[in-house]
Amino acid sequence: MMAQVTKELMIKEFKSYFKTPLGYVFLVIFLFGIGYLTFEPGRGSFFYMREASMSAFFRYIPWMFLFLIPAVSMKLWAEERKSGSIELLLTMPITVKQAVIAKFLASWGFIGLALLGTTPMIFTVGYLGNPDFGVITLGYLASFLMAGALLAVGGFFSALTKNQVVSFILTVVACFVLIMAGSPPILEFISTLLPKYFVDLFESLSVLNHFDSIERGVFSLSNFWFFSVTIFFWLFGSIVLLNENKAN
Amino acid sequence: MNNTNEKYLKIFLGLFSMTLMIYIGTTLLKRARVDFTEENLYTLSKGTKSILSKLDSPIKLKLYYSKTAANKGTEGLRAFNNHFLYVQDLLRQYTGHSRNNLNLEVIDPRPDTVEEEEALAYGLKKFNLTETERYFFGLVAENESGTEKVIEFFDPNQKDKLEYDLTKLIYTVLNPQKKNIGILSSLEVMTEDMNGYMAQIMRMQGKNVEESWVVTKMLKEFYNVKKIEKSTDSITGVDTLVIIHPKEFEEKTLFAIDQFVMKGGNLLVFVDPHAVVDRAGAGMHGGVSSSPDAGFKKLMDKWGVELKAGEFAGDKHLSASGQYNPNLPPSRLLALINCNETCTSSFEDTVTSGVNNSLFVYPGVLKVSEVKGVKHTPILSTSKKGNSYKAQGYELNNPQALWSKFSEGSEPVIMGYKSIGKFKTVFPEGVKLEEKDKDKKKKKEKVEILKESKKESAIIVFSDIDFLTDQFAFKKSFLGPSVANDNSTLFLNSVEALSGDTDLLSVRSKGRINRSFDVINQIEFEAEKRTADKVKEINASIARFQSELNQLGRKANEGNIAILQNEGIKKKKELAKQIAILKKELRAVKREGREKIEGIGKIFQYINTLLVPLLVIGFGLYYSKKRKRLMQGQRKRADSNSSKNNTSKLVEAKE
Repeated sequence: MMAQVTKELMIKEFKSYFKTPLGYVFLVIFLFGIGYLTFEPGRGSFFYMREASMSAFFRYIPWMFLFLIPAVSMKLWAEERKSGSIELLLTMPITVKQAVIAKFLASWGFIGLALLGTTPMIFTVGYLGNPDFGVITLGYLASFLMAGALLAVGGFFSALTKNQVVSFILTVVACFVLIMAGSPPILEFISTLLPKYFVDLFESLSVLNHFDSIERGVFSLSNFWFFSVTIFFWLFGSIVLLNENKAN
Repeated sequence: MNNTNEKYLKIFLGLFSMTLMIYIGTTLLKRARVDFTEENLYTLSKGTKSILSKLDSPIKLKLYYSKTAANKGTEGLRAFNNHFLYVQDLLRQYTGHSRNNLNLEVIDPRPDTVEEEEALAYGLKKFNLTETERYFFGLVAENESGTEKVIEFFDPNQKDKLEYDLTKLIYTVLNPQKKNIGILSSLEVMTEDMNGYMAQIMRMQGKNVEESWVVTKMLKEFYNVKKIEKSTDSITGVDTLVIIHPKEFEEKTLFAIDQFVMKGGNLLVFVDPHAVVDRAGAGMHGGVSSSPDAGFKKLMDKWGVELKAGEFAGDKHLSASGQYNPNLPPSRLLALINCNETCTSSFEDTVTSGVNNSLFVYPGVLKVSEVKGVKHTPILSTSKKGNSYKAQGYELNNPQALWSKFSEGSEPVIMGYKSIGKFKTVFPEGVKLEEKDKDKKKKKEKVEILKESKKESAIIVFSDIDFLTDQFAFKKSFLGPSVANDNSTLFLNSVEALSGDTDLLSVRSKGRINRSFDVINQIEFEAEKRTADKVKEINASIARFQSELNQLGRKANEGNIAILQNEGIKKKKELAKQIAILKKELRAVKREGREKIEGIGKIFQYINTLLVPLLVIGFGLYYSKKRKRLMQGQRKRADSNSSKNNTSKLVEAKE
């Protein structure tokens, strides 16, 4: 299904996350952060609510992703372009499309691994009470799909600039807008600028609405469509950008 | 420059087409979905679909939600936004199943508009968010002839009953007339209407005024309530019959009830192995007033429902505290069952769902036997650890004796059943009427005796009566009686369910599966029990001291009074010391329970925050070391290779 070169590049890219301490730092910060937020002292805390569901956990996933994903995606292209290794990469028998897909899948796999690291949470709720495992599975699926969408966005901004920091900041901003697109205050702000029809259009872009919709336990084709289209378009954008920028 | 412009245009076009594709695609595909929740929160039940299929004229549904106002509110309104999406979602499914008879309109009422005025006129609940913005979240259903019914406000906490509420709303628009409820009882649950002032005057004159039970007064607010006499030939003009404490009914009354059921009438029956409220019926000397009597039991046997005589449902975990006698300290009583959601939630039944705090007094044990064409469903029970116990006479007034008869069980004891189906008559031959009523007899002979139900009817049986009484369902307040718990809700829910369609009755509550932390609850319960034991110990030593002191007092005479006084003081000091020690232990027990729970919380917090990160770090260190060693090895090999090469070169050179 996948070209051999794509597969090989993907594996190489995935391994590269563990060759520098940075990958470990990201993993540790994410896992510690999400654990801390879930058990955070306060009224919304998982242990305080005494409900054997993982909603307290999934509630914070988008906000952890807001920083984790740009951090993972910033180096996808920016670094290669800065050091010039992109030239080397593209002289190999691999197309830009294949390279983009390989790098995207590798980073998606890395985030998947990070999510896998939160399995103690499943055992925790399973031990303490009687959770709805169907909903929990969908929660993880929703998180994984959301990670894919945001990574595609991050990849695009990484291809846009040679500077990792700029890429990071742009991605954070873009992800923030996408996450908050369905939030009441933002919609109110948009509605002062644009007619109501555009507000609805804008709201349909909300990653969080689709995330919530799967996370509560209903898997709709419309959610799947949303995430696939988002991933496809942003990846396509990166391919176009890299083709354009090959020269400089 | 041109190039950059083109680039921007491309990006813009790309973004725009993506947005459009997403918008169109998500709108089109919204209905293709799978519900993964255990409770099937997002799927319509059979009963709802059946009621929707009966629609033959259009009904307009107006869903009012102040979306714009909510957008201006705080992030906390997200919960309402989510609930709105859920309500809208469910309503769309309703319209989808209505063969175009339901027409949903979503309205966002802005301040000072016609829509807002309408919303207010319909009586929707209004919340002021800011000085100008008002928040509405309700539903109006209207049919062609102008009948309108309203849900004033959608409460996110009542999510599990939402489908029932919506279906009921549609059902009541279809059938708007007030229902007739009959009440038949051996007790004075409903007396002639007398206004409060008259009653007070009569009471001042020393007359005994029996007042209606508050639950029947509540019933009158929603229904036409009719009292059925204990001696009656036939029951007509009644949609649902409520029978409380059935005993000493005449044969012809029993026959009338039987025929009422055969005609498809619905029954709500309250029986009790020990009706505390019926003091007169109990007689003197520890007698017990129980129902049903032999006559009514025959009817119940035919329905396949039996109340075990002299047997009671008990549950240690649900036992409430109370006192038999004002001189005794309050303690946990087996006779009182304080039902929380464990009693009802597993049945997911609309009659009992949401009833999470009700109090039963000596509830009985219901058993069912199979009857062809009848489906029995339990709707109220003790928890899994409940059990039944047998007791009679004086034992019932001795809490300690009751506890000694009880042992923890493994299956819930059922205290409420709902039976739906076609029943058979108990009187296939009819009944003989009194001789002197000859005219009536002639008439009666013409009346056809129904031997079998014409259509389905529903019978709900509860095994307690006292929970309906003013004493246990209401508390006295400055403004008259006010609801003390969910007892009256349970009563009204049952009547409401029975006076609707059987389809409406079968709309399942989505239910709330118990997802509390069982492990923690167990620890808390154990700690509570140990605390109670310690308190008991303290009270016992105080009582012992009292009796010792009394004994000393009895011994006292003029000669030894000084000595005895001294001894008394000594004993008092001893007691104080003892109590101080016990109290310290009590504190320790309480602290232990709390610390144990906190400890578990801490352990899980550490596991979830530190365990995997530490593993990741460990793996990282191991992996990097391995890589370093590997690289060093490679370098060494490379070095040795190159030195070999060098030596071979040298050798070559020498040669």
